[in-house]
Amino acid sequence: MNDMRIVERDVESSETKIAARKVQVYYGDNHAIKDVDVDIADKTVTAFIGPSGCGKSTFLRCLNRMNDTIDICRVEGDILIDGEDIYDKRIDPVQLRAKVGMVFQKPNPFPKSIYDNVAYGPKIHGLARNKADLDQIVENALRRGAIWDEVKDRLDAPGTGLSGGQQQRLCIARAVATEPEVLLMDEPCSALDPIATAQVEELIDELKQNYSVVIVTHSMQQAARVSQKTAFFHLGNLVEYGETGQIFTNPVDPRTESYITGRIG
Amino acid sequence: MSDAAMDTSGAAPQPTKSLMTEDARTKKRNASERRFRYYGIAAIGTGLFFLIALLTAILTAGIPAFRQAVVEIPFTMTQEQYDEAEAAMLKTGIYTGYFIDGLSAEMKERGVDIEFDKAAVDRLLGKVGGQLRAYYRDNEDQLGQPIGFEVAASSRVDRYLKGTFTRGDLVEGNRFFMPEDFDLIDAMRDAGIVKQVFNWTFITGVDTGVDNPGGAGIGASVLGSFFMMLVVLVLALPIGVAASIYLEEFAPKNRFTDLIEVNISNLAAVPSIVFGILGLAVFIQFAHLPQSAPLVGGLVLTLMTLPTIIISTRASLKAVPPSIRDAALGVGASKMQAVFHHVLPLAAPGILTGTIIGLAQALGETAPLLLIGMVGFVARYPEALIDGFLEPNSAVPAQIYNWAARSDAVFTEKAWGGIIILLLFLITMNTIAVILRRRFERRW
Amino acid sequence: MPILWLLLIVLAISAVGYVVGRRRALASVGHDGRALHSLPVYYGANAFLKAIVPAAGVVLVWLLAQPLFVDNRVSQMIPDSEIREGSSRGLLMSEVRRTADGIGNAVRAGVLDDDLARDPGANAEDMTATLKEAGQVVTSNITQPVLNAAQAYRSMIERSNVLMTIAAIAVAIAGGAWGVMQSSGTFRARNVVEQGVLALLIAAASVAILTTIGIVLSLVFNTVEFFRLYPASDFFTLLEWAPSFSGRGGASSLGIIPLLWGTFYISLVALLVAVPVGLFAAIYLSEYATPRVRGIAKPLLEILAGIPTIVYGLFALLTIGPLLLSVFGDSTGLGWMQGQRAVLTAGIAMGIMLIPFVSSLSDDIINAVPQAMRDGSYGLGATKSETIKQVVLPAALPGIVGAILLAASRAIGETMIVVLGAGAAARLSLNPFEAMTTVTAKIVSQLTGDSDFASPEALVAFALGMTLFLMTLCLNVFALYIVRKYREQYD
Repeated sequence: MNDMRIVERDVESSETKIAARKVQVYYGDNHAIKDVDVDIADKTVTAFIGPSGCGKSTFLRCLNRMNDTIDICRVEGDILIDGEDIYDKRIDPVQLRAKVGMVFQKPNPFPKSIYDNVAYGPKIHGLARNKADLDQIVENALRRGAIWDEVKDRLDAPGTGLSGGQQQRLCIARAVATEPEVLLMDEPCSALDPIATAQVEELIDELKQNYSVVIVTHSMQQAARVSQKTAFFHLGNLVEYGETGQIFTNPVDPRTESYITGRIG
Repeated sequence: MSDAAMDTSGAAPQPTKSLMTEDARTKKRNASERRFRYYGIAAIGTGLFFLIALLTAILTAGIPAFRQAVVEIPFTMTQEQYDEAEAAMLKTGIYTGYFIDGLSAEMKERGVDIEFDKAAVDRLLGKVGGQLRAYYRDNEDQLGQPIGFEVAASSRVDRYLKGTFTRGDLVEGNRFFMPEDFDLIDAMRDAGIVKQVFNWTFITGVDTGVDNPGGAGIGASVLGSFFMMLVVLVLALPIGVAASIYLEEFAPKNRFTDLIEVNISNLAAVPSIVFGILGLAVFIQFAHLPQSAPLVGGLVLTLMTLPTIIISTRASLKAVPPSIRDAALGVGASKMQAVFHHVLPLAAPGILTGTIIGLAQALGETAPLLLIGMVGFVARYPEALIDGFLEPNSAVPAQIYNWAARSDAVFTEKAWGGIIILLLFLITMNTIAVILRRRFERRW
Repeated sequence: MPILWLLLIVLAISAVGYVVGRRRALASVGHDGRALHSLPVYYGANAFLKAIVPAAGVVLVWLLAQPLFVDNRVSQMIPDSEIREGSSRGLLMSEVRRTADGIGNAVRAGVLDDDLARDPGANAEDMTATLKEAGQVVTSNITQPVLNAAQAYRSMIERSNVLMTIAAIAVAIAGGAWGVMQSSGTFRARNVVEQGVLALLIAAASVAILTTIGIVLSLVFNTVEFFRLYPASDFFTLLEWAPSFSGRGGASSLGIIPLLWGTFYISLVALLVAVPVGLFAAIYLSEYATPRVRGIAKPLLEILAGIPTIVYGLFALLTIGPLLLSVFGDSTGLGWMQGQRAVLTAGIAMGIMLIPFVSSLSDDIINAVPQAMRDGSYGLGATKSETIKQVVLPAALPGIVGAILLAASRAIGETMIVVLGAGAAARLSLNPFEAMTTVTAKIVSQLTGDSDFASPEALVAFALGMTLFLMTLCLNVFALYIVRKYREQYD
């Protein structure tokens, strides 16, 4: 555990971006998320940790209604983003997802060119007025994804031809190209090697200047490295939520302590 | 907006828009989403519409083939009448006279008064005299007793009563039908002595010439199809299973095996007519097997069905987990024993299902049969078992084609009726296949 | 049916071999099965296989070689002078065979005396009369050399059958005896039997190859024969299809181009019906439909695939044709259409037939696109239709192209629908309301009926078949290749 460098960071903004109240999620008869209350701050990296199957990914997918694509999934309770209930009938999930972007566990570039991968979001949301505009958006996104220098000479090459780490950064670039306000990351480094992981983590640290980032991770070291706030999930319950430093050094709940010291998981 | 997009250095996100209001662009996108969805629904609807149209056409046009108009009158023939008729020169003429007397009497009894002559009876009811005579020669003990004598009406009467042949359809100068015959039929219908009964002749009968379209039946060709399916089953199942076992369990990965694999997937997509050409050239031209014989038809359909059976059998063999083989090999069974004692029985339901589906496919196939001559006019049943394989015969789909190609509307009706029979067989076979799959399907 | 009896006898011998072989093996170890190398059944099976397989092989080879041999011998008996103008030795041989069959049937029916049937001095005219009386189909009058050749043919076949029976039974007995002799305790019966079974399995697998070889040979030989009688350049370039019905070539114009055009045109109409409907149905079923709707609609659509093509043919001729005629026809409609047989009639019916084919293939292919692709798109705020149009379909495109090519190959090879719905006249026209004909329809019309197989009018069917076979083969190989590559990409 000695590689866990816990950096005390200031939480720059304490403004609440996402507020969840009494959230319940059911998969058919299975009660996957029980009574979760959480406030996620703006311009902060929040990490969700917990053992496999604890519901952290499920909860993450509730935040931009990705669970809508699963027929048997049912969500109860309120999730407010900027004070608006995202499960309100008037909310269009399409608009919501433009505001709350997502990066997935496995890099999933479209079978298109690198350029088209990034341009896809801006195109469907009509963010560019002309080609030059679009070129600029793509370049900015790739720069923010910290991959511009590696791909600027081959924007027409297929995105699937990149290495795993590059693919994942491409997916992050793709996600930021639509100008989201929140970025959800579902174990973004689990398919990557340590070097690629370090690159992505560095990127996350930069992204928090503009976005509220929520990251699900299996690796406690990673949570400690990148996040300011950490939430620990266990068996569908939110067990403990607080400053990352505090969770890792001085957990309140015995379950949290058992998990971070490796006794359950 | 583009300024904001370009100016990225540390800029805060733009002021948040409310998610509650749908902006114009989202409205447009959602509209196109709905449109796209409607295309999908329309496509499904079109497919289902075609299905319904097809089934409706088959049922409305085909069901009348199963019904047949008959005239039934109570009739009594005395011993004297019988002797007198048998002694005469033109025996059937006298019998026809008796029948007409009986018919007139019955119609009067029922309060219908209409004049008709022998020619009209001939036109409407065919050779009544002959049938009457045949009946009494077979049943002499019935003489003097009242019987209900039933005689099939001609196909035009039949179609008139079904409504597919109207007064307007009659061509001037048709010697098989006169305008006044309509009145006679109407009168008989009013008297209740002509009625519709189930047409057994259609099920059991054989093909007939153009002079008697109403008497044509599909029975002989059903038998022809049956013998063909027997050949297909006896040859395609063992060969197909053996080939699949070799390819799936024993074949080494080499050129020869690859060649067979490519071959099988290509044979499955070769047009059926090409198999007909093969059958014609190899079995008839070269090997001099009898033309139009179900044996040859069966051989051709075997070759055609084999790829289907091999593909489905291999799928069922592949579905048996390797652990079963390992378990058998682990107790010292040979590879062959492992396959035949364990893998094959476990794959049997799947193999059977695939075979039935292959047979169903073969049963409905027509094109290759045309080339090996199974469209000839077949007016009799095979006499012995072996003749069933070697005597010229037709098959159900070929018989349907044959009827469809004739111009008489009665044959068209028979063709639709034949399709109902064919589909009934196919539905039965597919239902059995589905039941087998449901009952024995195993998920590993 | 002597062959059937022969096979039964051989089967009986093999069965005896089984029983005896098994007994002998057991007896050799004092009826203690444990002392045997293999289970007792394997000793029986060894004798059984050794009896039946070689005997069946003898019968098979004999039956294949016999016609060649006998034809050759009998053919030499016919003097060249006997071959009439415009006829050929092959034609005369079929006459000989018919006569021989006729004589055989007449003898069996008891109409003809067996001695007379064999008498080389028998009068040809009398024989003709007798055969006709017996209801046998013979040519108008049998000439003396043909009669003699037929008699020789008949006796040679009979002798050959007797020899074959003897040979097969002898081989069966010898093989069975060999198997029985081997049956002793130390003999590795199981290994030998398994080797034999493996050989049989390989033989069964080779049937597929033999079928292909058979198809290719029968097409090639007859096509070459056709091009000997009819110039290949005409066949490929003439813009007219007009076979003469008199038989002996000459006046026939046998150009394939109008037929290819008809085939192509009708297939195009069919694909225009099937591809949009099938593709959209597949998209709806795999992306939008609830499991319940999918569970109902998919099997219903697949019923269309299980319906035999003859049904579609009848539907085209008797339902679609009259319907189109009432809209576009002369009397009641727009006056564009003359008869119910037309390109559209056949094309629409064929399109309906292909809908489930296109939809179930596309459904598989769309389902093979990983869910991660869709999630990526939804995560960016794309709507379902945007995801489908811009991510799923482009990803599935190679597979869908493959599926459409397979459907096209089906359309080109389809026979019954065009025979009934498309018409018989070959035309080069753009009007979809006109009757046209296809390669397959002409194969059927040239090979059915009483034409002999030696005239160019009949042989042209094999050249057409060859063209059809090559076209569909190329399409299939190409399409299967694309689809396989596509599948591998996502496996």
